[in-house]
Amino acid sequence: MIMMQPNLDNLVPAYVREFEPYIPSKPDPELQKLYGCSRLLRLNNNENPLGPPPAAQETIKRFPSVKGAVYPSGDSYYLRQEIASFHGIEPDQILVGNGANEVITFVIKAFCEQGDNIITADKTFAVYEWVAVFSGIEAKVIPLRNNGFDDRAMLESINERTKIIFVCNPNNPTGTYWSKETLIHFLEEVGGRQIVVIDEAYYEFVEADDFPDGISLLKEYPNLVVFRTFSKMYGLAALRIGYLAASLNLVDMIRRTCVVYSVNAIAQEAALAALRDDTGHIEKTRKLVREGKDFLGEELSKLKLPVIKNEGNYIIAKLPGSDTLAYRKLMREGIMIRPMTGFRYPNHIRITISHLEVMEAFAGALKKVLQG
Amino acid sequence: MDKKNSMLTLSLNAQPSLLPVVTQFVESSANVFGLGKNECLKLVLATEEIFVYLCNFVCGGKDMEIQCVNGLYYAKVRFRFSAAEMNLRGLNIASTISHERQSDLEEMGLMIASKSVERLNVVIEKNNRVSLEVFKEKVYPKISETFLPAKNLEDISIETPDAERLKLFAGMAAQYCDDPHSPPFLKYPGKILDMVAGGEYQSLVAINKKKEVIGGIIYFNRTEKIVQCFGPYLFHQEKQAEQGNLLLNACIGKIARTKALGLLVVSGLPETLQSGFETLGSFNYYAEGKEPLVKTPFYRHLHEDPGCEVWSHPDLDDYLRSEYDRLFLARTIRTIKNMGESRLGNSLFQAEIQREKSEVNLFPLMPGADFFTNVERHVRFLRDDGLLNIFFSLDLGFSWHLELIPALIANNFRPCMVLPFAGISDLITFQYDYDAAKSR
Repeated sequence: MIMMQPNLDNLVPAYVREFEPYIPSKPDPELQKLYGCSRLLRLNNNENPLGPPPAAQETIKRFPSVKGAVYPSGDSYYLRQEIASFHGIEPDQILVGNGANEVITFVIKAFCEQGDNIITADKTFAVYEWVAVFSGIEAKVIPLRNNGFDDRAMLESINERTKIIFVCNPNNPTGTYWSKETLIHFLEEVGGRQIVVIDEAYYEFVEADDFPDGISLLKEYPNLVVFRTFSKMYGLAALRIGYLAASLNLVDMIRRTCVVYSVNAIAQEAALAALRDDTGHIEKTRKLVREGKDFLGEELSKLKLPVIKNEGNYIIAKLPGSDTLAYRKLMREGIMIRPMTGFRYPNHIRITISHLEVMEAFAGALKKVLQG
Repeated sequence: MDKKNSMLTLSLNAQPSLLPVVTQFVESSANVFGLGKNECLKLVLATEEIFVYLCNFVCGGKDMEIQCVNGLYYAKVRFRFSAAEMNLRGLNIASTISHERQSDLEEMGLMIASKSVERLNVVIEKNNRVSLEVFKEKVYPKISETFLPAKNLEDISIETPDAERLKLFAGMAAQYCDDPHSPPFLKYPGKILDMVAGGEYQSLVAINKKKEVIGGIIYFNRTEKIVQCFGPYLFHQEKQAEQGNLLLNACIGKIARTKALGLLVVSGLPETLQSGFETLGSFNYYAEGKEPLVKTPFYRHLHEDPGCEVWSHPDLDDYLRSEYDRLFLARTIRTIKNMGESRLGNSLFQAEIQREKSEVNLFPLMPGADFFTNVERHVRFLRDDGLLNIFFSLDLGFSWHLELIPALIANNFRPCMVLPFAGISDLITFQYDYDAAKSR
C-alpha cells in the first residue's frame, strides 16, 4: 500500500515552516577532512579551555557505569539544594534545565501565547529570538547603543502584549553590561508589568565591581528571572546543564512548561561537584582570560583591527573584509572562530580566549589570512 | 479578496471547448488586478495559446486548475495539473509538435505564448504537480522629475521607508545612479512601490537628520537561501563607504537570522564596499545595439560554511576544484562516471524567459535520453527568437544534472559562476557563448 504523504503546508504552522533550522557545525574529524587541516582549535563557542573544575572532573570519571540504566532525579533534587544554599535562596526557586537554552524555552512557553511579544536586543545571544519566532511569538529586537543593551529604547518598545524582556548581562558577544544601578532602575521602570529575564551565562567571568548579582535582587523584584549556566566557567558544556532562579510564584508557573527528567545524572552530579570545588578554578580561569585578552588585544591592535573587548571570555575584532570568508580561511589553518554576521555584526569575528599558545596560533593564522 | 497577493482559482477539465471560459476568467481577473487594457489583452493571448496547447498536447481531458495571482506589479496566470502519466516533453519551451503545415513548425509550442508576456516559467511542484506560469507586468509612468540631493550628511540613520520616501528614493536612484548595471525598474517609482507592497521585495533608505533620503537599497529572495540586493545606491560622492556600509549592514541585519545563507549583488557594487564580498566569476551581458557589459556577481556568506558534497563531471572537475579553492569553500567533489547505462524517456528543461532583459535561464527538471538534442534544440530556438543572454544552471546536489555537461559544452555553454547553496546544493551557471558558436 502506498502511504499518502502528509500535507505539511496544512499540518505545520507557518511560523515553523518559515523558520530556518540551526545547523550546528560538524564534528571536528569531519571538519578537518572538509577543510584539509591536521588539527582544529575551537575558538568559536566560548568554552573554558581549563575544562571543568577538578572536583567535577573526578565525579565524571567515577560515575558508576551501571547507573546508566537508572533514571536521574527528575527535578535535579540534590543539585537544586546545593544551588539554593550557594545563593541563599529556596530550592523551589530553582529550575534546572538541559542547558540554559532549555530554560529559555520553559520561560517563553510559560508566559507567551500567539499575539504576544518579547523584547531583546538585535546583537545578542540568538536563542531568545529563535525560540520566540518558532513559537509564533513576535521578537522585538532593539538595536544596541554603544554596543550595550539600550534600556531606554527597550522600555519604550513595551506594549500591552509584551510579556518578557531578555537582557544578556554581560552581553554575548559584546561583553558590555548593565551596572547594578542601571538594572535596578530598569526593574523599577518595568514595575512588575513584564517578566524581566537576566541571562548571566558569563557571570563568573566578570570582574567589574559594579556588576550586579541578579539572584540577589529576586526578593525585591518578583518579576525577575535569572539564568545561569554550567557550560561556560564550569566547563560542563558537553553535559548540557543550566538553571534559572526566580521567585516561588514565578517558578511555580514556569515549572508547568518544564520537561522533567531532561537533565542527565552525570550532569547533575558534576554540576554539584563544580559548585563545591575549592581548588580556585574560577580564579585560575579568570587569570587565563585576563592574560589571553591582554595578549590578543595587543596582537589585534598590531594588525590595526578595531576590537570590542569588555567582560566575558571573548573578544570581537572587526576585519577589513568578510567575516565568513575569514572563517573559511582560518578553518584551512585549523582555527575555528565565530563569524558575527549571524549576530548582525557583519565583518566582525568573535574569538574565545584560550591558552596563550593557542592565542599565538590564532594571531599568526589571522595575520596570514589578512595578508593573503 | 485581500488586495495583496490575492489569488482566484478556476478548476476545470482540460478541453479546448472551455477556452472561452478560461479567457473570460483571465481577462476579468487581470482587469480586477489593475492591468491595463493592452497588457490584459496580451495576457489573454498567452493564456489562449497555452491552454489550447496544453489541451492538445500535454494534459487533454485531465483536471486542471487555472490560478490568477495578483502580484501588484504584475498579474500571473498559473496552469496547474498532475504530471502523472503524461509526456511532459511538450512543456519544453523548444518543443516542436508535428503539424500539417510545415511552415508553422517553429511557431508551435510555448514559445509563441512567451512573446506576449514578460516571463514564462515551468515548475515541478511537490506531489508531482506541474505548474506553468506566465507573468504580465503593469505599465508604469517613467520618472520625469529631477531631484536635488540633500546637503546634510550628518546623523544618518537607516529605516524602512514609507511610500513617498520610497518613491523619492527610486526617483533619485534613477537620476544619480543611472549606469548600465542598474536594474530598469529604478526608473519607475510606482513599480518599485508595488514590488515592495506586494511583499516580494524589501527596501531600506538612509536618511539624514531632516529625514531627507540620501540613499537606499532594495532586496529580495532570489532563491530560498539566497537574497539578492540592488544597491546600495548613494546620491552623494562624500562618505559613500560609510553610508553604503550602514545600508548594507542594515540589510544584512534584516536577513541574518532568516533562511538566507548568502547575499548576492549582480547589479554592481561601489568599490569602497567590495571588500566585504567575494567575486563569483563573471559573465557578459548583451543588449541590442550595445557593447556587451561584463557583470561580476559579488557574494557573501551569511554564516559559517558547513561544507557539503557536490556532484561533478570529469569535464567540470578542474573548474570546480579551482573555484572552490579560490573561494575557500569546503566541498567534497564526487565525480559521476558513465558505466554504459542508458537513459529512457525525454528530458524537460525549465525555461524562465525575461523578455525585457533578452534573457533566458534554463534548468533541468527531468532527465532523458535526449539531453544532447534537447539542449541543441533549445539553443536553436532561443537564438532564432533573438534572445541574447542564454544561461543554463545545474544543481550540483543532483548527480543526474551533471550528465548534461557534455551536451552543454558541445553546444558552446561555458561555466561562469558557482552560487553556493542556491539549490539543494551549489548552483553552477553556464552562459551560451555566441562568439564561440560563430567561430565554429
